[in-house]
Amino acid sequence: MSMKISIIKPGLLSTIQDMGRYRYLSQAVPVSGAMDELAHRLANKAVGNDDHHATIEFTYADASFKAETPVLVSYSGDGACLVYNNELMPVEKPLFFPAGSVIKLIHNEIGMRTYLAIAGGWDVPEIMESKSTYLTAAFGGFKGRALQKADVLASGSLLSEVSNGILDHLIQRSLTYPNWRISRESLLPENKQAIRVVLANEINWFDATSIISFLTNSFTIDRRSNRMGYHLLGKPLVRKVKKELLSTAVTPGVIQVTGSGDLVILMADCQTTGGYPRIAHVAAVDLPLCAQLKPGDTIHFSETSRDEAEALYLERERDLSLITMAIGLKYIKT
Amino acid sequence: MTEQVGYLGIDIPIKIYGLSEKSVTIGFGTAIDHDLLYLITDFNQLLLQNPFSGLITTVPAYTTLTVFFDPLDVMLSDLPGEVCFEKVSAHLNKIAQIKREKSNTIADKLIIPVCYGGDFGQDLSTVASTNKLSETEVIDIHTAGQYIVFMIGFVPGFAYMGGMDARLSTPRKQVPNAKIPAGSIGIAGNQTGIYPMETPGGWQIIGRTPLKMFDINRLQPSLLKGGDMVTFKAIGIKEFNAYAEI
Repeated sequence: MSMKISIIKPGLLSTIQDMGRYRYLSQAVPVSGAMDELAHRLANKAVGNDDHHATIEFTYADASFKAETPVLVSYSGDGACLVYNNELMPVEKPLFFPAGSVIKLIHNEIGMRTYLAIAGGWDVPEIMESKSTYLTAAFGGFKGRALQKADVLASGSLLSEVSNGILDHLIQRSLTYPNWRISRESLLPENKQAIRVVLANEINWFDATSIISFLTNSFTIDRRSNRMGYHLLGKPLVRKVKKELLSTAVTPGVIQVTGSGDLVILMADCQTTGGYPRIAHVAAVDLPLCAQLKPGDTIHFSETSRDEAEALYLERERDLSLITMAIGLKYIKT
Repeated sequence: MTEQVGYLGIDIPIKIYGLSEKSVTIGFGTAIDHDLLYLITDFNQLLLQNPFSGLITTVPAYTTLTVFFDPLDVMLSDLPGEVCFEKVSAHLNKIAQIKREKSNTIADKLIIPVCYGGDFGQDLSTVASTNKLSETEVIDIHTAGQYIVFMIGFVPGFAYMGGMDARLSTPRKQVPNAKIPAGSIGIAGNQTGIYPMETPGGWQIIGRTPLKMFDINRLQPSLLKGGDMVTFKAIGIKEFNAYAEI
């Protein structure tokens, strides 16, 4: 049987997202998907879901919802904290709420985006092999739009063995949550202002001073920042090669340099092709840090090699599969 | 930046560079060119027919083909190399060495019906006056042309087309329109294009097609793809409305 919630207050921008839409890039359909893929995946893992199950991406707080049936949910991210019965709910743990419960998202000053997973995943149609919302073209997610007041969202009715195990455990002991939790903190670097980057193909289009300036100066997230990309405020870079770059494929994490020498970090909803020269790309493991940056936040870039960035990615994936295995061992009867 | 160099059957050097941990880009040349388009289209088809373990998708552009993959699958594959870049490059270089006599690309030919001028093409008069032509002459020149799709980008289903007659060349608008309706045919500089969905835009709008350029309910949602040959056919408002009802 599927679980249901209704939206009391949708918040600034709440959309259904998953791991993204990759197979239609050649038709200029953006990847979309969760901006903070790590938080999305951990929220899913905490309720026994697969990574590809859809979650709700909340932007900041000021949102609330009601459990229309008993629900098994979990959340992860830095944009909000969940409150139930005046009690702060822990992140990255399965949470069981009886029917009628009202759950509020309150301010969390650390970041911007929070992911709410439900056992079985949010049940919306797959459009081009993904449940992600792409607002510009109004497709995917919940009716191709952001969530609104009174929307009723249901979970998929097929629960994994782990989800069923968690549900039985919490119901039998009348618990809201178990004593274990996943530690997202342990997966992330301590210094969240240092974003690791790999230098890009057009690096030699910039003069040496600009490259040094890119790797030593701080940059501030501008207000013109959204799911498509982040504009950065800082010392403009100077190009020594003036030729035009013919439009070519880009992908989230790529850092473009505009005509005025300003930096733009491309994010989940970015165009599939771009014509600005690229100075670097954000290491995949640090993209979740970018997803939590707010206008006014300051960052700096530190150089890493392509091979090191790949090693970090593979290590992160290993850690994530160990988490899945550890949760599985608690609930799968062998 | 390290780069791997290989050769296509017809001795064109390819250059491979990393775009992200999950993608590499193959550079085939430096200028927009029909032969390059067919080369990239051929290479893309060969790669999709002979995929490596972990290949997710490819994105052709003017002078490049970008290959997206799952690093975990690539690392588990028996391709030679220590890291994904080496492993994927090894496969791409193997594809590059497949000898071919001539291009295998078969271009799809599409006729796009367009209702020119009036409410659908409010900038037709601007294009005419800029180029000292009558509106009818603009339509005649636009429909006489044979256009080629180089790539899809910008927004879902938007085709970058080459081949417009230079006599129609018109600069972009100083102030972009906040809303350009789906199906609008525009001119910007020496390019012509079709807006697949309502977006802001600065192109001079000369008409509108009743065809859906992007439709999520089709197997191939984008009507056009790289390599397609396009011509425009002038239709009247009656015919436009008849299409729209289908």
